[in-house]
Amino acid sequence: MFDNRLARRWGQGMSDTRAIDTDLDDDGGLKRSITGKQLFFYTLGDVLGSGIYVLVGLVAAAVGGAFWIAFALGVTVAAITGSAYAELVTKYPQAAGASLYVNKAFGNKALTFLTTVSFLAASMAATGSLATGFSSYFAELWDAPPPLLVSLVFLAVLVVINFIGITESVVINMLMTFVEVSGLIIVMITGIWFIAQGDADFGVLVDIDTTGSYGNPALAVLAGIAFSFFAMTGFENTANVAEETIEPHKNFPRSLVTGMIVAGIVYVLVSMAAALTVPTDTLADSPAALLEVVKTGILPISEGFMTTLFTIIALIAITNTTLVTVVTQPRILYGMAKEDVVPGVFAKIHPTRRSPWIALFFSGAVVAALLVIGNLVPEVEGTPLVERLALVTVVLLLAIYALVIVCCLKLRGRDEDERTYRANTPLLYLGIVGNLAILGFSIYDDPTSLLWCAALLGVGGVLFLAEYFFGNKGTGSRAPDLDDVKGV
Amino acid sequence: MHVIVATDGSRQSLAAAKHLKSFADPTKVTEISVVAVIRPLASVAFADDLSEGRIDGSFRDAAQGAVDTIAGVFEGWGPKVNKRIRSGSAANEIIKAAKQYDAGLIVVAAGGGGLSDAVLVGSTAQRVQHYAPCPVLVVRPAPRKKK
Repeated sequence: MFDNRLARRWGQGMSDTRAIDTDLDDDGGLKRSITGKQLFFYTLGDVLGSGIYVLVGLVAAAVGGAFWIAFALGVTVAAITGSAYAELVTKYPQAAGASLYVNKAFGNKALTFLTTVSFLAASMAATGSLATGFSSYFAELWDAPPPLLVSLVFLAVLVVINFIGITESVVINMLMTFVEVSGLIIVMITGIWFIAQGDADFGVLVDIDTTGSYGNPALAVLAGIAFSFFAMTGFENTANVAEETIEPHKNFPRSLVTGMIVAGIVYVLVSMAAALTVPTDTLADSPAALLEVVKTGILPISEGFMTTLFTIIALIAITNTTLVTVVTQPRILYGMAKEDVVPGVFAKIHPTRRSPWIALFFSGAVVAALLVIGNLVPEVEGTPLVERLALVTVVLLLAIYALVIVCCLKLRGRDEDERTYRANTPLLYLGIVGNLAILGFSIYDDPTSLLWCAALLGVGGVLFLAEYFFGNKGTGSRAPDLDDVKGV
Repeated sequence: MHVIVATDGSRQSLAAAKHLKSFADPTKVTEISVVAVIRPLASVAFADDLSEGRIDGSFRDAAQGAVDTIAGVFEGWGPKVNKRIRSGSAANEIIKAAKQYDAGLIVVAAGGGGLSDAVLVGSTAQRVQHYAPCPVLVVRPAPRKKK
């Protein structure tokens, strides 16, 4: 089996001389489809959609007018983590991402399982947060339906879209990313226009709120980073397309890191524009903060039109990112079912749609449960759902990010060739410290998020036990009985 | 004639391959290209129901497994068998392959029957039928016999 695979990989044909041209055919080698440019937009779209539209208010509330600093520092830590991902992807260009790296580095089944389940949980919490964000923007267009219902319908639609398989289109992904960027450009133009009018008070950009709950500037900024960090996540999902990227050694590091840097620049400019044009208190109190920038009426275009346009752009941006998370969850469950660590039903593929439909609907159901539970408890805890779920995502992802960087360092010298991309080592150490610092603060600031993390990880635990006690060994790799496939 | 046999890793695609072999004249078929398409942005980029073996996160290995199984059907039949793995949207890639290889026939599987097939439009087989540059053989599952 192994020899065969090796032979295949090197395109040396197999025992049957008829079946030649396995790899190197007249298409000019393996036909992969994701170009460097597409990967760049995939990264950018995935990162930009998650958060800036949803979380600006929170970050402004924590830091004050200088909240762009939080975005700048947060994206730096994320970009360093991205460079570790890039190095690992060039070595192991497979879709499994963090779980695969942890498995390669430590070879410990329990740790690999924990990483996989954490990633799944983070993805589910992210979907929940994004769906809630979607409903708050949606209310600007039509506020009759209750937000919870909007979130649930939004989620259901995405699940069905994924089931049908429309998510396959790279072109649609690129178009949505363009729309996302255009929304943020509107915010930037508003800022520039405002500055040109000469009304801007640049003092607000260095104003750090020390009177709030955090007392000192360093803590306030750290809090801002923790809240803004949700906006930096998403780049880890690029591992999804690693295997199908053309010339991954060259394209992956370049597109991923450039995508992060561009996202960072956009974030900083957008934060500055928002801080200059809208009073910090207004931003802090708004559930859809970037909309406030457009509502200021600074641009000489009808405010109502701009608001509607911007709302639609924000909705598209959120949809784009949520789609990727909705695609990722069943993929993780499918992989785990194949590994026999969760029940085999999650590896079930719909005969015509070719999607792992049980895993897909299960993930949807868990996120729906999160939304419903989250809407029932906020009165008790006093934290809005979008913030709560974003924090849960961040806590889980930060732990994974730190671990991935450790894996990257630990796997140095293994499976390398001259084409392997090498991330900057001192920066990687800085990245570990950065990720752990933000993680430490997030937990210190909101210990309740640990309960949510535990509950989500518990779902993984329950699935594992279900497989352990009731599952059939080998459901994932069962030899198919092909004799019953009739030729006619 | 160059025949393209498409596989999405489903059993129905294996049935389609066997169906072709059951009636076609191997002396008239010069070449067979077994084509599998990986869908990079789908939840499961390629699912292989046809061959044994685990995936270790590699959908390329899964596609290779399916292509190998289908190619095995035509082993020793006569025509030269090519194995091709492509990447992108399934219908588009099958059509592109047909144009590229100047195919005389495309063989695809369609449908498991049931509700989803009746309600949802836009399946790969339908799009291939609409836009293919050559005849298309769509192999549907035999209806279950009523008792």
